[in-house]
Amino acid sequence: MPDSPRKTPSRSEIRALFVSYTETRDPKVKNALVDAHMDLVHSLARRFANRGEPLDDLVQVASIGLLKAIDRFDPERNVQFSTYAVPTIVGELKRYFRDRASTIRLPRGLRERTYKLNAAIQQYSQEHGRPPNISEIAAATGINEEEVIEGLEGAEASSVASLDTTSDNGEMSLLDVLGDDDRALANLDERLSLAGSMSNLDTREQSLIYLRFVEGLSQTEIAERLGISQMHVSRLLRRALMILRQDLVASTGPHSA
Amino acid sequence: MSIEEKADNVCIKVEPTEPMARIIRLATAALASRVGLNLDQADDLNTAVEEVFRSIIVTGNETADLFSMRYRVLQDRLEVIMESVPLDLSDQSSSVNRYSRFVIESIIDDLSDMPNPEKGFDIHMVKYLAN
Repeated sequence: MPDSPRKTPSRSEIRALFVSYTETRDPKVKNALVDAHMDLVHSLARRFANRGEPLDDLVQVASIGLLKAIDRFDPERNVQFSTYAVPTIVGELKRYFRDRASTIRLPRGLRERTYKLNAAIQQYSQEHGRPPNISEIAAATGINEEEVIEGLEGAEASSVASLDTTSDNGEMSLLDVLGDDDRALANLDERLSLAGSMSNLDTREQSLIYLRFVEGLSQTEIAERLGISQMHVSRLLRRALMILRQDLVASTGPHSA
Repeated sequence: MSIEEKADNVCIKVEPTEPMARIIRLATAALASRVGLNLDQADDLNTAVEEVFRSIIVTGNETADLFSMRYRVLQDRLEVIMESVPLDLSDQSSSVNRYSRFVIESIIDDLSDMPNPEKGFDIHMVKYLAN
């Protein structure tokens, strides 16, 4: 005899679960919400199944997106949960592929650790309004502190993803977000007497330098603004600073005026 | 009357070479973790340390000396003292010095430098735990 089909909760039942979860944060209610939306998770994971990754892994990644969406969803807003959750889940899947692409030269174990760290850092930052420290990342991931430090450093050492990388919301490149701010950047070049070295960075690298060192945004704030991870911002900034210093030293000598 | 703060002291001596930059990054990250600095703060400190260390790498072949740096791990901050650095941050007539100072001052809470009795300059950087 075939299994009876699983009963899908009605909209009003889902809404009641969300109201309850918002008030109590009861893990059982959260599990019920997860169960109610696993079809959505499978459906979105299947969209990415032709990119060489096992479907089970993609379902796991999409599930992380679902958990984030459940935690952030406000039932008072006049929006259906699925409408709210789809961009979050798709964003999580895209981030997974982007991180895999940028860490492709790392051993599998380190690659997985890097992804796990990245996800934990983002989730923590969103929940607490500040980036975590190492022990907080360790607590969130179950990875010991030494391995967290190694993992973060491993990610730093990996190849740098292109600044043209699509941001996590899948709609804008960094250039689209930052735009051109030629006058401000020219002022920065003049102020630091960089002898035109800023022009050796591309516009997007210049803009990252500007956001960090002139506007004074933290890496986490830049990451939020651009829809990329803090680790990604860190890599890109380090690379831009290295280029700037090398160009400056090459053009003027290490101690020249 | 001053009350002496309790600090853990860590000293590192390394060759001023590119592979050692990673060792210093790992050490700085580990000590930042002991203080409880968050990722942004730890990365700021690492960027500043790297900025100074790269100035030493540039001139490292001239000296072949081991480079010394000291960390002071305190309850509310991490201090880094980089010794005999060939980088005079107070000499703002040099564009490289001006650039380095700008980068470091933008991301470090306290920065001071003074001539080392033997050679170069001692650079003292402090990063405080966020409130």
